[in-house]
Amino acid sequence: MHIPDGYLSPQTCIAGFAVAVPTLALAARRVRTVVRTRHVPTLALFSAMCFLVMMFNIPIPDGTTAHAVGGGIIAIILGPWAAMIAVTVALAFQALLFGDGGVLAFGVNVVNMAIALPLVAYGLYKLISGSSALSSPRRILGAALGGYVGLNVSALLTGIELGIQPGLFHDASGAPLYSPYSLGQAIPAMLLAHLVVAGFAEGALSGGVLAYLQRANQPLLKLNHPDVPVDHERTTRKVRPIAVAGIAVGIMALLTPIGLLAPGGAFGEDAPADLDLGKVNLQAIPEGLNKYNGFWHNALFDGYDFGGDAHPWLGYLVSAVVGIAVVGLVVFLVGKLIARFTRHDVEAGVAR
Amino acid sequence: MTELIDRPTTSTPEWLLRAEPGLCPCGCIGKRHKGSFVEKTLRGGASVLRQVVFSDDTATRGGLLQRVDPRVKVLTMVGLLLAAGFVHSSLVLVGLYALTLAAAAASGLPLGFFVKRVWLFVPIFTGIVVLPATLSIVTAGHVVIPLWTWDGTVEGITSQGLATAARLVLRVAVSISIVVLVTLTTPWSRLLAGLRGLGVPKMFILVIGMAYRYLFHLLTVVMDMYEARKARTIGKQKHDKAARGFVAATAGVTIGKAHQLAEEVHQAMTARGFRGDAKTLDAPKLSLRDGVCLLTAAAIAFAALFVDGLLV
Repeated sequence: MHIPDGYLSPQTCIAGFAVAVPTLALAARRVRTVVRTRHVPTLALFSAMCFLVMMFNIPIPDGTTAHAVGGGIIAIILGPWAAMIAVTVALAFQALLFGDGGVLAFGVNVVNMAIALPLVAYGLYKLISGSSALSSPRRILGAALGGYVGLNVSALLTGIELGIQPGLFHDASGAPLYSPYSLGQAIPAMLLAHLVVAGFAEGALSGGVLAYLQRANQPLLKLNHPDVPVDHERTTRKVRPIAVAGIAVGIMALLTPIGLLAPGGAFGEDAPADLDLGKVNLQAIPEGLNKYNGFWHNALFDGYDFGGDAHPWLGYLVSAVVGIAVVGLVVFLVGKLIARFTRHDVEAGVAR
Repeated sequence: MTELIDRPTTSTPEWLLRAEPGLCPCGCIGKRHKGSFVEKTLRGGASVLRQVVFSDDTATRGGLLQRVDPRVKVLTMVGLLLAAGFVHSSLVLVGLYALTLAAAAASGLPLGFFVKRVWLFVPIFTGIVVLPATLSIVTAGHVVIPLWTWDGTVEGITSQGLATAARLVLRVAVSISIVVLVTLTTPWSRLLAGLRGLGVPKMFILVIGMAYRYLFHLLTVVMDMYEARKARTIGKQKHDKAARGFVAATAGVTIGKAHQLAEEVHQAMTARGFRGDAKTLDAPKLSLRDGVCLLTAAAIAFAALFVDGLLV
């Protein structure tokens, strides 16, 4: 995610500094009033720590590893303002010592990783943890989700900054002067990797470190949570994963009628005759599309609908519920089968 | 690299000088790496030490850029980076790159190493990333190498796409060369003094300087924990919940130690009279050599922009 020099126009880089410098000045003032003379060693040690956190390889279940930035967990321990300075110093090390991220692009990198990430991660953490006790699992969830969303917001910003380049800066022949990919190409490319891999690594690190500190070093957590009680009365019931999964699926099913709002459709989704051929550089409808269109007529809910489009949103809901039930049943049966075969294997192994 | 190892003055071992390509060496773009997380982290730590030890080696040699005042070097760096940013012509960028090679040679940096250090990471990756942008489906324009036809329209590599790719890769290489030239010829403490001389707030300089000092201490703490983990693991490292728990606990312990150390350092500083403000020695005066360097850099920047204006 570190943008090197050369990918962004100097104008964009200057805009990055214009945002980063005042924000850092504000952060420096906030930190100075809170921790007074202690700020120099505290920030120094946590900046060094922040640099090391970026070096940690987080193990992923498929046998590979990914990196985290660590801005979220530092924000939870030190507060977002101190985290901004710590991550900025770590980024300065990377840019000057290791050529990781550009010098002109430093301001933009600071905005993405040192300002947006800690702010978003900390905001979400506060929102989710609410008034819960310091040792509450809600705080772990808040830290993990904060890390995940914070890193993805950071990646989204990077995608936007790279994506605006070809439209704004190109030569007379239309050739882009800097990063060549448009918003529609840069944003998905950045977000895909972060939504699928790096976000989880960041979330796992934030949540994992918070859980560890809850167990082993609560005084450290107390630094930025002076008024939060360590332990409430244990009145909350344990949340079962199946309940969380059920609620999440239920909400998604209820939201399916949003599909009605989406303009247009996928390429040639409805009738091939409705295709706007000029828009996609075609002279005729592709032969295969014409041939196989309407190949299958026996759908139960054709077009997520029944009863001749009288109640479209009801059609969406019923389709969602039936779809979820069918998929759930298939997954359940496959799971049962796998469990049966593996148990058989284990028993056979024991017998041998 | 080999000529470097043959030199009796250089003590950096070969295994410390190995490197892997990638957009940023930290690999935080969501790329997945095969291999054990323990090994990877240990190798990462070694690579940090390797680069720092090597920079220290080259920064203390006698060469052209080593003798220039760090303030002048930082100013020159920013000026030349801006010039490289505004240049549109690939030819001018090639010229600027040749100048960075000449500067590296004059500063006693082994050229083979310098070229490898610059190209191995970002420019090669940039070349791969920018490949699809040479196609007409991304960068519309005049097709020079037709590859396929899509319903009558010829699609392939466009002249605009090629120009963009060449420009981007060259600009990235020139920019990195300029930064690497400065960092390899300036000891870290002098670079910080240069930044301070140019008006970066004292608090940031203090924090950066101290962070650098304690970075290696904390790095040793982390490496010790990982080595201990490696030593007591028989067989392959599993990437399961326990492994993630170990990483989180290592990070948590290090954060705890960093905090404790910060408290102790603060007490030691207070005991020695620290009251939140630091006094620095006056910056040394600029010499004639620094003036010549600044003027040469300004001339190069303006010449690059002027020639670029003629060519484009």
